[in-house]
Amino acid sequence: MKRFDCMTKLAAMLSDELVILSLGASVDEWYNAAPHMRAASLFQQQLGCVTPQAFGLAAGLPHRRIVSLDTDGGMMFNLGILATLGNEQPKNLFVVVWDNECYQSIGGPPTHTAFGRVDIAAIARGAGVPHAYTARTLEEFEDHCRKGLAAAEPYIVVAKVAGAVQPDIRRKHSDGREDKYIFVRHVEASEGITIMGPSEHN
Amino acid sequence: MQQSAVDAVIRGLKRAGVSIVCYLPDSLFKELYPALDADPDIRTIRVTNEGEGAAICGGVFLSGKRAALVMENSGLRASVEPLARMGLGAGIPVVMLMSYRGDMGENNWWAVPHGVTMEPVLQALRIPYVVEREEARIEQAIVDAYELAYASYYHTAVALSGSIVR
Repeated sequence: MKRFDCMTKLAAMLSDELVILSLGASVDEWYNAAPHMRAASLFQQQLGCVTPQAFGLAAGLPHRRIVSLDTDGGMMFNLGILATLGNEQPKNLFVVVWDNECYQSIGGPPTHTAFGRVDIAAIARGAGVPHAYTARTLEEFEDHCRKGLAAAEPYIVVAKVAGAVQPDIRRKHSDGREDKYIFVRHVEASEGITIMGPSEHN
Repeated sequence: MQQSAVDAVIRGLKRAGVSIVCYLPDSLFKELYPALDADPDIRTIRVTNEGEGAAICGGVFLSGKRAALVMENSGLRASVEPLARMGLGAGIPVVMLMSYRGDMGENNWWAVPHGVTMEPVLQALRIPYVVEREEARIEQAIVDAYELAYASYYHTAVALSGSIVR
């Protein structure tokens, strides 16, 4: 199963959602798989921070569906967030974990999930998130996305994807700071709120 | 903490517009945590480590709500990676309220590293901070920390010490 194909399926289901996603090659893949979601996606570079940030966003906007596109390396970096989701039970958070069993962006050394013992979905269930599943086919992934985007409790799908990156895709040119401004202005416009307002004096 | 100091913290958070508090409990703020839990205007989120709490606070910032990360100052060390990434890499601010373990008067050997490292770590991250030891200054210090964080879009910190926490 290719991550880019999964992204294309997920992107087709999204319109009003907000997305936080992880570092690495998945950034450029999402940028191309979901061009209509670029302003609604925060491209972050933080191992272990993606799902916690998405949960914070979900806590602040409980009426809005939030999607976390995390990774096996990112989730293993901070497993505690699964226990926090288990206790807090956000009704509006759908988490995808791209599990390619390697640290792809640095050339592919294995993560802990590469040896057939570590099961992130099982860890999530043990942490109090019963709707945590592993998808190995595109059909399974699409079905979990449909359910996860409609669920009224936290829903996690661990997508077992190949280590290959989609070739010949356009690179994103913006950095983390520009991405934040784009995302915040999108949230402001779509929610009718002010997050980064004017100074007292100009 | 005296009840009056707990009340001052909560007044400051409310004046600053805070509606979500992430915390990992500690002994010096022992009385503060249940008071935050009981406050109808504040949602508390218990976290497994302070770095996770910092990241959740960053997400709350993106929603337009205001969050606080409340912890012992040892939690600052656990938060350095997400704070550096969010603050220096993206300009996503986190406001921290921490108890100052290891300050003058500390009588626990295990707390000494917290005092040795807190200010150098804050300075290494270029995080503006104040150390308050007088209850009368708590409320305004918290309000001021939010003013600066939302002008700079960078982290700020308030550490409470002295008679406030002993």
